[in-house]
Amino acid sequence: MLNRRMLIVTIVVGTAGFGMPVAAQTLSYAEATTKLAETCGGDIQKLCKGLNLGNGRILECLQQNAAKVSAGCKGSFAQVFQSISKREEAQSSYEQTCKRDMNARCAGVKGDGFVLACLVKKEKRVSPECYQVITDAGWR
Amino acid sequence: MQPMISRAALLLFSIMALPMVVPEPAFAQEVSQERIVKGLGKLTAAAPAIDIEILRQEAINGGDKPMSALPNWGRLAKLPQMVVEINFENDSVAIQPTSYRTLGMIADALHHPNLWDYNFLVVGHTSATGSDAHNLDLSGRRADAIKEVLATTFAVNPSRLYAVGVGEHLPIEGSKEDASVNRRVQLINLGVFKRRS
Repeated sequence: MLNRRMLIVTIVVGTAGFGMPVAAQTLSYAEATTKLAETCGGDIQKLCKGLNLGNGRILECLQQNAAKVSAGCKGSFAQVFQSISKREEAQSSYEQTCKRDMNARCAGVKGDGFVLACLVKKEKRVSPECYQVITDAGWR
Repeated sequence: MQPMISRAALLLFSIMALPMVVPEPAFAQEVSQERIVKGLGKLTAAAPAIDIEILRQEAINGGDKPMSALPNWGRLAKLPQMVVEINFENDSVAIQPTSYRTLGMIADALHHPNLWDYNFLVVGHTSATGSDAHNLDLSGRRADAIKEVLATTFAVNPSRLYAVGVGEHLPIEGSKEDASVNRRVQLINLGVFKRRS
């Protein structure tokens, strides 16, 4: 998905200004944004007043004002974005990774939601890769 | 810490079951991705085709009736939907960091296999405080801003998303027009946007 790739590029470029990325588990968008609001909310309201979250504007603003951004915000930033991109990768590769399991375990099930529910239900019998990608995608 | 904003204390959040029109307020903490996915996914009948401009005009000329009383909006009122409160900076399209979580949760739900085939309409509403024209304009720009956030930061395919602002024109039934409960964002499931093979 083009859009998703664009985001990952933004993130990779974005994290460069904030030091080395930290190893992280995958976070949902809700968890990631909660963390971002907690650690960077004050900085955003102070340094990026009137700017909106969409289209990389907040990211850009925090980078431009890197000298004034709080340590807490800088510390969590890379981690938050890395874990979002890991989840996005899992979500985009899910259908490919679980294809064999879908055919073997859930053949005849119609509808993406029902197929996922079937794989989750049969979690003991699906391949480790498929199991992991569903976990990383945040769908368990 | 940023100062507490009255509206931020309580995120009005409700998921409407299909035949139900009156939203049930609940604390944001009770809302989970699972609930959003379930609430928005209960599309049982074919969704009507929509035209944003017709919807906008119908709202403006609708005599401030609730949406269920207007022909085109009335059809949308029956679709799976939810109401969220997103806090914006005063008179601005900038979403306050306190509402980032709500947007994140919506994005998580839109990326779930149960919902990833569906189109959604983002409807921006205001209370009746302030001038009619200004409210209409602001609510439209705010709905666009939410669409933009979802389509960029949260990687939702933009061709799945529609946005329209209706200002103060579609108040919640039984509420005062200037009640803060009318400052809300509605997310409506518009049905399947493509068949995945």
